[in-house]
Amino acid sequence: MAVTSDPASGSLRRDDGLLRRIVAHRADYAYVLPALVVMMVVIAYPIWFTIDMSFYKTPASLQLRDRTFVGWKNYETILTAPAFWSVTLNTVIWTLASTFFAFLLGLGAALSLHREFAGRAVLRAILLIPYVISAVAASYLWKWLYHSDFGVIGALSVQWGFTDKPINFLDNIHTALPSLIVVNIWREFSFAMIMLMAGLQTVPEQLLRAAQVDGANAWQRFWHVTAPHLKGVSMVTVLLLMVANFNSFIVPYLMTGGGPAGASDIWITHIYQIAFGRQNWGLASAYSVILFIVMMCLGYFYVQALTRGDKGRPE
Amino acid sequence: MAKVALENVVKTYGPVTAVGDVSFTVQDGEFVALVGPSGCGKTTTLNLIAGLIPMSGGNIRIGDKLVNDLDPKDRDIAMVFQNYALYPNKTVAKNLAFPLQMRRLSKDEILRKVTETARVLDITHLLERKPRELSGGQQQRVALGRALVRDPRAFLMDEPLSNLDAKLRVQMRTELKRFHQDLKATIIYVTHDQLEAVTMADKMAVMNGGTLQQYDSPKNVFDHPVNTFVASFVGSPAMSLVPLRRVVDGDTVALAGNGWQMPLSPANARKALGAKSDKLILGARHSTIALHDTPHAGTVPGRVYTVEPTGDVTFVQVHVDGAIVIASLAPDVPVRSDTNVWLGFDQTRMHLFDGETQMALTQT
Amino acid sequence: MSGRVDGWRWAGRVFLVLILLFTAVPMVWMLLTSIKSQFAAMQYPPQWWPKEPTLQNYTKLLDPTNPVGNDFLRYMWNSFYVSLATTVLGVAVAVPAAYAFSRFRFPGRTFLFFAVLLRNMFPAVVFLMPLFILMRWLGLVGTHGSLILTYLTFGLPLSIWLLKGFYDNIPIQLEQAARIDGATRFQAFLLIVMPLSVPGILATSIFSFIGAWNEYVYAATFLNRQDQLTLPVGIQRFFAEFATDWPGLMAATFLMSVPVVVLFLVLQRYFVRALTEGAVKS
Ligand SMILES: Nc1ncnc2c1ncn2[C@@H]1O[C@H](COP(=O)(O)OP(=O)(O)OP(=O)(O)O)[C@@H](O)[C@H]1O
Ligand SMILES: [Mg+2]
Repeated sequence: MAVTSDPASGSLRRDDGLLRRIVAHRADYAYVLPALVVMMVVIAYPIWFTIDMSFYKTPASLQLRDRTFVGWKNYETILTAPAFWSVTLNTVIWTLASTFFAFLLGLGAALSLHREFAGRAVLRAILLIPYVISAVAASYLWKWLYHSDFGVIGALSVQWGFTDKPINFLDNIHTALPSLIVVNIWREFSFAMIMLMAGLQTVPEQLLRAAQVDGANAWQRFWHVTAPHLKGVSMVTVLLLMVANFNSFIVPYLMTGGGPAGASDIWITHIYQIAFGRQNWGLASAYSVILFIVMMCLGYFYVQALTRGDKGRPE
Repeated sequence: MAKVALENVVKTYGPVTAVGDVSFTVQDGEFVALVGPSGCGKTTTLNLIAGLIPMSGGNIRIGDKLVNDLDPKDRDIAMVFQNYALYPNKTVAKNLAFPLQMRRLSKDEILRKVTETARVLDITHLLERKPRELSGGQQQRVALGRALVRDPRAFLMDEPLSNLDAKLRVQMRTELKRFHQDLKATIIYVTHDQLEAVTMADKMAVMNGGTLQQYDSPKNVFDHPVNTFVASFVGSPAMSLVPLRRVVDGDTVALAGNGWQMPLSPANARKALGAKSDKLILGARHSTIALHDTPHAGTVPGRVYTVEPTGDVTFVQVHVDGAIVIASLAPDVPVRSDTNVWLGFDQTRMHLFDGETQMALTQT
Repeated sequence: MSGRVDGWRWAGRVFLVLILLFTAVPMVWMLLTSIKSQFAAMQYPPQWWPKEPTLQNYTKLLDPTNPVGNDFLRYMWNSFYVSLATTVLGVAVAVPAAYAFSRFRFPGRTFLFFAVLLRNMFPAVVFLMPLFILMRWLGLVGTHGSLILTYLTFGLPLSIWLLKGFYDNIPIQLEQAARIDGATRFQAFLLIVMPLSVPGILATSIFSFIGAWNEYVYAATFLNRQDQLTLPVGIQRFFAEFATDWPGLMAATFLMSVPVVVLFLVLQRYFVRALTEGAVKS
């Protein structure tokens, strides 16, 4: 009747080969198959296509039969072009400035909205509207605000004595990029706000009280109690904002088209211009591949951030 | 109702062996208590019987049927989950009705059974509430009800009374026992409460580290633990275990500590001679140990460590050879800490274990 | 001490007022412009408050007998149709995938999940040309099918990720209990898990719908027939042909934003929850 606790019983354990495990789980793949098929077709194929195309010189017609192999020449062209570095600088400024200010405004709004007060929900909803409406709508709206002759911003700055006559914000190499960044911040800060508001809810009330009892002032409480709790969500937010900003196309494309004289040209608009303006598909593909590589580096952190807490579960 | 048989059942999670080579048979109508420390594989064993997780090896039979590849729904088993697993979006009544609906019982019959079960468990007034509007104990009773409302071939219960207050627990224990007797139900019951196991179960299965240590009636498990693990796990307070040496001198066999020897009775001597080496472990329950304030023949010296009056009896912890031995005294006997005492072990009721294998030594 | 605390509180209020102005003034100006005549809008200095407010811009856009309104309503219908199809198909594909990623541990799961998430990182523009060629090969260029297929893949990673977060929070014991109670795996999913994941599905749907409704780049490239355009592309084509009619454009922009804003306001709770669910797990 009695059974011994003989460690040798472990010898019954079956050898878990990969193939065997795949076969054992074959039914599970059925669930992900539709999603994977769709994504394979529309993602894997384009990526392969882009890499392949980046080694060719292509005719404008997109008749792929007529392309010629040129090796690394497209990459060389890109990296030696003077425009590359100015566009890269614009991209860095655009991405970092938009992210920084959107995060800062979002943090301020989240902290101010954390305390319960009448109208808080309404206020939050209003602040989120720019994030919800399309970038196309935002672009047209701000284009009208920035309008060189009848724009309300120009009129206000004259009225308040900042300038003598309306500035042509979008057609001036000094103001074009900053003006676009303002639009971007307008669209995105409430995303940071909503993320940080959720993060604030994880700060234990008791800790804040304890710090208050210990004599910490508001700033010290924020720095020593609140900020450490916001670290995780802040990292995710900053990362998501960076990716979104790096990839944003509609605002610069519709508002300035990268101009004037490339003053607001960023990678994405530049690639679009090469591909659909100059119809130089090979060069555009090589550009895209470089972008893929940059994104992959960011992507490591991105995936890390998004899969936090994806721990094991029973089969 | 039906019998449930496990044959060499194994479950591994990658390198972790949650259940390793477990075999036992629960006869039709038997109430088996599954006990063991946290993480020893109790829940996993129930999940395997229910068919909720695939086995890595072995066979499970319900009735006479091999159910290895059968879906949980076709095994016809009811289960009470450790964390209740009540359907949060259904009312209590709907929770109870769900298993019956799945089995396509008529509306009238469902209503009748749900009402009856709710009455027995005293949750009639909660029937229209959602689970999150219930206390932990109430949720647990609903979870129990969702199993009892059915008429399955066996019940699996994972600590179904753990969250009830003491009074309710005693009451539910009685109800469950009646239920078992009336229905001749086959029940496998996980518990951390040894009193529950002893009072309700026909058999006890003691598990440790994924393996079955002993499977026997509660009395036999208590009186004849097969190894030091079972000896120290079952009973409260646990059996005291003292590692000692065996000394053979001609015909006499004795246990030796630091500067003392205890000659063994002929029966115990034969057991002691069966050990693989000279290392032995003496086991004794508190009620079989006498305390003396002067040395007698065959007694063992010790020093009182703490004295714990509980009202009924006073437990005395005594240092013997580096180990702690718990003895009990009538509450009116005076003892003080840090005094020397001598312990007399009842040779007819003491246990000997092999110091190497940890297994109980029996007469051969 | 209390004076300092009040100081921070006041700073917070001032900040909120400023940021509300930053958010709302552009939108208010859009509305004010949209109720001006073209003449009234094109003045310097601007008419701060419309002297003769008019709804003619809106009536024109919403009047099916007017050619402008006819086009606009058609664009709106196209947008609605494409967004709805994307949402429905997207949810249908994402639900099983998210469920599998949450529940099963099959070989390659982590890799596939990462691959799905990484998809979200790539901008539309770099996929534009290969997808255009792919669509041409599939014979879908110039059809709404090309957009729906593309939006589907765009939305899927996010949908799968959002839904997986919701499924992760549904204890697996509920399904186990259901299966013991006599349900098949599928019934357990349908009867127990699905009702519990309604908030997740709603949240995911809002995201897909808003994403599809607002999309511009693919719509501008894949569609060529005037009567097929979706709103973001449509309003652009529409007004570039004349000298820009800013009040009309503002009215169209406003009307274009109404559905998503209404959807957002009604389902705000789910929207916010979905946005933050995965990120604030501690
Ligand atoms: N899905 C899983 N993946 C990996 N290991 C697991 C899994 N489920 C259980 N285990 C491991 O298997 C062992 C047995 O777990 P089980 O839940 O059966 O314990 P238990 O005896 O019910 O404990 P408790 O009394 O705390 O409920 C534990 O070590 C546990 O960590
Ligand atoms: Mg357990």
